[in-house]
Amino acid sequence: MRILAKPIKINPIIKKDLQVTARSMRLSWALFAYEVILTLAFLLALAIIQSDNNSYYSSRNIYSYLIYLFPVQAAVQAFIVALIVPIITAPSISGEKERQTFDIMLTTCMSPFSIVFGKVVSAVIRILFFVAAGMPIMALAFVVGGLEWSSLLYFILTIILLSVFSGSIGICCSAFCRKSIVAVVLSFIIYFVIYILTFVPTILRFLWSKGEHAGESMLFLLINPAVFFEEFFMQIMTGESAFGVAGSNFDKSEVGVITYSLSQGKTWMFLSAACIFILAILFMLAAAWKVNPMHSSSKNNFTGKSNRNKRKNKDVQ
Amino acid sequence: MLYINDLTKKYGSFTAVNHLSLHIPEGDLFGFVGPNGAGKTTTIRIVCGLLKASSGSVRIGSSEATVGTKEMKRLIGYVPDFFGVYDNLKVREYMDFYGSMYGMCSRDIAKLSDDLLELVNLSDKKEFYVDTLSRGMKQRLCVARALLHNPKLLILDEPSSGLDPRARVEMKELLKNLHSMGKTIVISSHILSELSEMCTSIGIMSHGQLITAGRIEDIMRQAAGGKRIHIQIASGIEIAVRLLQEQVGVIVESVRENEIIISNNNTDEQISALMGLLIQNQVVLTGFYREEGNLEALFMQLTGGDSQ
Repeated sequence: MRILAKPIKINPIIKKDLQVTARSMRLSWALFAYEVILTLAFLLALAIIQSDNNSYYSSRNIYSYLIYLFPVQAAVQAFIVALIVPIITAPSISGEKERQTFDIMLTTCMSPFSIVFGKVVSAVIRILFFVAAGMPIMALAFVVGGLEWSSLLYFILTIILLSVFSGSIGICCSAFCRKSIVAVVLSFIIYFVIYILTFVPTILRFLWSKGEHAGESMLFLLINPAVFFEEFFMQIMTGESAFGVAGSNFDKSEVGVITYSLSQGKTWMFLSAACIFILAILFMLAAAWKVNPMHSSSKNNFTGKSNRNKRKNKDVQ
Repeated sequence: MLYINDLTKKYGSFTAVNHLSLHIPEGDLFGFVGPNGAGKTTTIRIVCGLLKASSGSVRIGSSEATVGTKEMKRLIGYVPDFFGVYDNLKVREYMDFYGSMYGMCSRDIAKLSDDLLELVNLSDKKEFYVDTLSRGMKQRLCVARALLHNPKLLILDEPSSGLDPRARVEMKELLKNLHSMGKTIVISSHILSELSEMCTSIGIMSHGQLITAGRIEDIMRQAAGGKRIHIQIASGIEIAVRLLQEQVGVIVESVRENEIIISNNNTDEQISALMGLLIQNQVVLTGFYREEGNLEALFMQLTGGDSQ
């Protein structure tokens, strides 16, 4: 009973960040913009399906194509989330440093990891505001039937994973950069590496095998959230593995045991989710290590007053 | 209370703090003085766990906790020279936020916040947004925030910098008040006159080294050379001058209508005997005092005239 009576302690950073965000007009404008984009995407997708229906399909089966509004909406939401999260998290620590509130934070009993974790979670919760706001539009795809409600739950879990991953990249850059703008730019560079450059080994291997298969080079794509997202929707919509279709409809001897095993069932999806989550934790640990004054390199922390003043003057110039 | 032992901080080949050893007793109001780049802020940041020392150790009271640990952080309240505030956060919420960061429960925070805001004269600003407060108010709020978890040691890094004269006086009174409550306070400041008025002991740093430290009276005596004495006389000034000139180790520096200024190297007992001698020889004394030192002059002398 005593355990039950004990109040649950919320990370104070989450509470403060949400409090400050809720009072800002920026949140309202951002939600408005988000809703507008989602509505436009919905209308556009609907228009395309209708025009296709007029030209190719009979009016009888248009409903079977309306189901694709769900992945379209989900992809648009995921894309916006992937764009928004680093913009929220990348300035979170560097912003505290710029505002000179971070030192006080570090002198409290909060551990560096709790600070970093709190920042990421508050970003994820803010993203959930957006996801919740997008739900009514998303729910339109359910009107025609054919979709399970559990799909929506999986979608939310996917968005949370994506937010944690993007948030951890943002927070890591924020910890390593003094200026927020540099942190945001660096986040998008890391995005480019993870989302785009992880395709390079696969493409090269594919070309090497004269367009037959990409083999184990596809393992690099385990950390690519875009591939994970595609796999997730392939599983939901068709029950098949995108990885299996794209890379491993081959014999074990052709693509290797690992690649072959991964293409079976939902293995790729779960393994990819685990890899993305582990990578997110590693980014958060790196950020916590960096902001911990007892660990990080002393050169970067030379904050003697005369030196700080010099830096300030330099900034002004 | 605060034991700093052989503390050194190096940045490559540059030594910011050089083998600093210092002991600040419990209940002291200790002033840290030194020119820019002397290593005061670096020392303070090391003590607060914001910077890793190259070598040496810091201990608070009987606690065996090391710098940067939660146990150590609980013992220290830190007020930086400049701190930012969050937009859209009220004074009450600001206190609540930092109280929660020390693991305190909301009820305790609310009760303590009320008391502390009363102490720093901000109880009527509880529902104001922090960014709308004046600089002086923000600084006092920061002191209240630093006291929220009832630390044993309060460290203030130049709390008066950028404050107007009124805010400075208010800050000084607040610190005196806290000192009278038994708090151990370490304050770094450039305003030497202010430090000499409120500190019980001071330490002067230059080029990363502690040049001198001790009770303020001793430092002031050292500043005056400790040896100039003003003797005010109603009658018998000629006899007094003759007697004083006959004494070994006493130099009559100046003679005015009713006052003689002497410098000497004698002990307090010898000075007392000297006064007795004057009285025995019918010299009527109306006053006698040791000249107070000038901290600024001592500071300039010890730091080799470094600009502040």
